[in-house]
Amino acid sequence: MSEAPRRPLPSPPQESQAFWAAARGHRLSIQHCNACGQAWSPPSQLCTHCLSADSKWIDAAGRGTIFSFVVVHRVYHPWFANKVPYAVAVVELEEGPRLLTNITGVDPAALRCGMSVTVTFEDVSADLSIPKFTATPSA
Amino acid sequence: MREQSKRAEANRQAIAQTMQIDLTRQFRDKCAIVGVGHSRLGRVPGVSALDLQIEAIRNAIEDSGVRLSDIDGLLCRGPQDVYCHHQLVGARLGINARFSTSVDSGGASQALSVALAVMAIQAGMASTIVVGFGGDAWSSTHANEDARLANDTHGAKRPKEFGLEYGFTGAVAAHALGAQRHMDIYGTTREHFCEIALVCRENALRNPDAQMKKPFTRDDYFNARMVVAPFGLFDCSLRSDGAGAVIVSSAERARDLRQHPVLIKGFGSFNNTRGWFADDNMVHTAAARSGADAYRMAGLGPSDVDVAQIYDCFTYMVLTELEDYGFCKKGEGGDFVASGALRMGGALPCNTAGGLLSEGHVDGMLHICEAARQLRQTHAPARQVKDAEIALVSGHGGNQVCHASLILGRD
Ligand SMILES: [Zn+2]
Repeated sequence: MSEAPRRPLPSPPQESQAFWAAARGHRLSIQHCNACGQAWSPPSQLCTHCLSADSKWIDAAGRGTIFSFVVVHRVYHPWFANKVPYAVAVVELEEGPRLLTNITGVDPAALRCGMSVTVTFEDVSADLSIPKFTATPSA
Repeated sequence: MREQSKRAEANRQAIAQTMQIDLTRQFRDKCAIVGVGHSRLGRVPGVSALDLQIEAIRNAIEDSGVRLSDIDGLLCRGPQDVYCHHQLVGARLGINARFSTSVDSGGASQALSVALAVMAIQAGMASTIVVGFGGDAWSSTHANEDARLANDTHGAKRPKEFGLEYGFTGAVAAHALGAQRHMDIYGTTREHFCEIALVCRENALRNPDAQMKKPFTRDDYFNARMVVAPFGLFDCSLRSDGAGAVIVSSAERARDLRQHPVLIKGFGSFNNTRGWFADDNMVHTAAARSGADAYRMAGLGPSDVDVAQIYDCFTYMVLTELEDYGFCKKGEGGDFVASGALRMGGALPCNTAGGLLSEGHVDGMLHICEAARQLRQTHAPARQVKDAEIALVSGHGGNQVCHASLILGRD
């Protein structure tokens, strides 16, 4: 038997470290521009709307909708061998930015573009939590 | 202030209009494809991408009747891990070149290179330019499991976050996101994707050089394993070893050469560089503006096109590009393909050599070769689109957002 496959984990560049630090505290953090008032993701040094350097990290509400989604059946990386099929989605946050993520806790056959979703965090290790999304409980 | 910005806008529009007129005058029908060649195709173990490229170029030179010493331009591209591929091509051809580079827009690179060749010739920078691509995707991904994994997950070439930790692995999943969104918005179905896969396979079966030799049916399509839903096995293009090349020269010179000239009537390029996830780029692709520029330069529209070679890395891309090129309205691509339009004898025969889905994935280079061959009207009758006068070629790639279009015409 060969050893268990290593899980692929993010190794964030400098500009993303605040995002992952916040995620560890179960906060979904995005950058907000003080000059033009817009938010963006993935992280970068300058605002992707106006190139201003005057920005701050804000906690997103963690609510959004599925912009689109797919269900992965093929095992591309051996770590996912016992995870398929799983859902990968692009989620549009209420604040505007779109994030690549997984949808958990929903039957893949029930997924639809436009569906309301809410952030949830998978605690991977003492240093890392990965933000994912699940169906928003109906009120 | 408002008056000033109005004037600035009027100015911009005037400049844009002038540029369009000049583009048309300078480039329409000024250059031609004078030679076409391809290498062995499919599984060609033990031959490098570079040697396949040289094989295709040799065939294109022989086809054209130009001499090797006439070639003074190289717009050649190879696998992504090859540095300055065009220089290596020059070394193996044993020639120096006035204009030489490798374009870096993925599957859009080859159509864009034909456009650049026309620009370079019109600028007096070169007279006889080879546009080529050579790849070894089959061999390099079948060498071992590590090679396959590096290819599928794009190894070190991609950002190390917001991807693989979610099990997201590049091209298949990215295009599947677009397909799913199109399905949810417009009611497009896998039946429509199936029709595109069937058209390409049937065309490949008439092409003796195509990688895929076996027929498949609608049942085979639906019974095949899912890869990344909504894509199953037959929605995905091939991994191929192989190369293609064309030679571009002035239209004047083309008329003294061996083959019937294939005029480059128009070209266009657009890049949704804000990204595949931005705006609604997954569904409204850069083919729209790329195509509009090509039509304008050619002085033609979608109804003038007799045969189309549409970049088909995945079935869905053909459907959405057909809409973006104006062959039908946005959202009506499903009905359009279901009508049988893409079949030989249909309203718009498409990917007539089998495409990336069934002929071989040589990054769209073979789409350009096939368009030229159709316009020469020299195919065997079963493969020939009758009286083909105008062909459209699309190139798509570069993280799904780079696009280039060519409109070619029989002289
Ligand atoms: Zn800003």
